[in-house]
Amino acid sequence: MDTIVIFVETKGDEIRKASLELLCEGARLAAGGKFTLEAVCCGVLPETVKQRLLTMAPKVVHLTDACLAAYSPEGYAYAVAGYAKEVGATIIMAGATGIGRDFFPRVAVMLDAGMISDATQANWDNDPMTFVRPQFGGKVFAEVSFRSPVVVTIRPNSFSLEMPEGIKGEYVEKPAAIPEGVVRTKLLRRAEAKEGTVDLTEADLIVAGGRGLKAAENFKLLEDLAALIGATVGATRSVVDAKWRDQADQIGKSGKTVSPKLYIGAGISGAIHHIMGMDTSKVVVAINRDANAIIFNYANYGIVGDLFDVLPAMTEEIRKRKEKG
Amino acid sequence: MNIIVLVKQVPDPEALVEIAASGKDLNIEPKFAINLFDEFALEEALRLKEKHGGSVKAIGLGGPKAIEALRTAIAMGADEAVLIEDESFAARDGYDTAFVLSRALQKEAFDIILSGRQAIDRDRAEVPQMVAQFLGLPHVGVIVKLDVADGKATAESALEGVAEVIEVGLPAIFTAQKGLNEPRVPLITGVMKAMKVQIPRVTLTDLGVSKDAGQKTSVLRYLPPKKRPAVQFIEGEPAQAAREIVRILADVERAI
Ligand SMILES: Cc1cc2nc3c(=O)[nH]c(=O)nc-3n(C[C@H](O)[C@H](O)[C@H](O)COP(=O)(O)OP(=O)(O)OC[C@H]3O[C@@H](n4cnc5c(N)ncnc54)[C@H](O)[C@@H]3O)c2cc1C
Ligand SMILES: Nc1ncnc2c1ncn2[C@@H]1O[C@H](COP(=O)(O)O)[C@@H](O)[C@H]1O
Repeated sequence: MDTIVIFVETKGDEIRKASLELLCEGARLAAGGKFTLEAVCCGVLPETVKQRLLTMAPKVVHLTDACLAAYSPEGYAYAVAGYAKEVGATIIMAGATGIGRDFFPRVAVMLDAGMISDATQANWDNDPMTFVRPQFGGKVFAEVSFRSPVVVTIRPNSFSLEMPEGIKGEYVEKPAAIPEGVVRTKLLRRAEAKEGTVDLTEADLIVAGGRGLKAAENFKLLEDLAALIGATVGATRSVVDAKWRDQADQIGKSGKTVSPKLYIGAGISGAIHHIMGMDTSKVVVAINRDANAIIFNYANYGIVGDLFDVLPAMTEEIRKRKEKG
Repeated sequence: MNIIVLVKQVPDPEALVEIAASGKDLNIEPKFAINLFDEFALEEALRLKEKHGGSVKAIGLGGPKAIEALRTAIAMGADEAVLIEDESFAARDGYDTAFVLSRALQKEAFDIILSGRQAIDRDRAEVPQMVAQFLGLPHVGVIVKLDVADGKATAESALEGVAEVIEVGLPAIFTAQKGLNEPRVPLITGVMKAMKVQIPRVTLTDLGVSKDAGQKTSVLRYLPPKKRPAVQFIEGEPAQAAREIVRILADVERAI
């Protein structure tokens, strides 16, 4: 039976959503009887996270080493590739998060394996098995076949989050035994993350603003709406270049690629460079005062109107609904 | 300080990309550009050279056309460039690209390799990390700041959105993210120089790479993006439209 190794990324007391999605997909596969599934994590593993993982995967492998306390591409690659080799895994998967995409290419080289980055679909039952990945900013999708073993990263929000039931996993702790000198990067400091916000790449709900917002302080309109529904705020490049928002908020070709369930864009014209970063969103709502704005070609719902009227009205409407319960 | 920049020529971001009738190929409008992120890498290399001295060399793997991207690199201020010319090999997967580049890099002496964080044609974002692994070098990905002193580099990485400051000994590989700098526009003197300069071309045979081995991953076919249904406009005054869209999002789409 083929073994799939899923790299599970944890963040404090949480399992990252991209990893949860892989675990859910993995559990569905394992139930089909074609694959054996192993969840692998590196570094610090809080007890609560461990217990949660044991309800999601038949085997949870915790790779330990002093080097793994903080993320490093060399340390994580050494640990994960070493384990994958040991169990003869045929598919090694991670979420296509910043970290996943950073170290998995090293894993591929260590395993002398091919790599499929940022896939949005897996055709497990096809012969040959394939993964589908966007190219050219989503203008086309490539269906890719591979020789085993293969190393794959999966774009967040590609697999559905239906938690498996009735799994009682086995826990294995294993020293990664990373030799001295393998890890040559050193984390000196990390800026404080914004409290309580989900990163754009993993967000379910996004409200994004463009130059139509006119000034940095008007993003308050988006922040208010976002806070009410638990969304993350994004922006266009023009807005980032004008320094109204951080680079980290930029969606598009030269920014982040997002794939939320709902994307609301206000005051955004819909330049192809922006669309490339959000076209895999499930439901798109566009608000623009120009009925001919290109963004309407990429939206499910459109409101032609002044965002300074529409956004506060939406926020107010949602608040009313919430109060009614 | 000797710096090497990995420069890929890509279709212009605006070029039309269509799936060929066979479904197995792409028809791409022949408009080309230097990969967006590689411009940040080049600019950073030039600034490091201006500060610390040394040289900047651009290396690319591509078809004969890719010489243009390397000329742009020279026009910006790179001292040298070399093209590993092989159209068909350049179209293979990231692993093969990284393997060939690392073979070429083994012949070079350098302190720093800079690359883009992603090539905007295939959107793989995997080649530089693979090159690092092939060469046994450390890497810092998606950097927005780079300082070098005493054989060490301090880089700010924006891998996960929040800035992380990372220290690494040289030689090392860095992948450039937007925000690292503002790439310069070549001066006319640079353009003149770039037009005249002889850019050496290297073949896979020169690098001792065999073309026989099959690829580890291959594209079976290309698929168009899923089409969204035509937009449904929500009519009415702002308050009315807001009420209607919120109703749809909550009750029909169940998204909020
Ligand atoms: C190589 C390259 C890479 C790029 N990468 C990116 C990228 O990653 N991300 C990105 O976003 N862009 C990117 N761009 C830039 C992109 O081409 C566009 O310039 C940019 O997306 C436009 O931003 P915008 O929609 O905010 O502004 P504009 O195009 O100026 O649009 C503003 C919109 O707001 C509307 N508006 C104005 N006032 C109101 C109002 N009161 N109410 C409602 N609507 C209003 C207008 O009708 C207009 O449609 C890139 C460009 C290049 C060349
Ligand atoms: N064919 C190539 N020639 C030169 N550099 C390349 C090539 N392919 C990728 N690179 C470098 O690797 C970076 C990331 O590319 P990729 O992994 O293909 O997304 C690019 O920005 C380039 O700096």
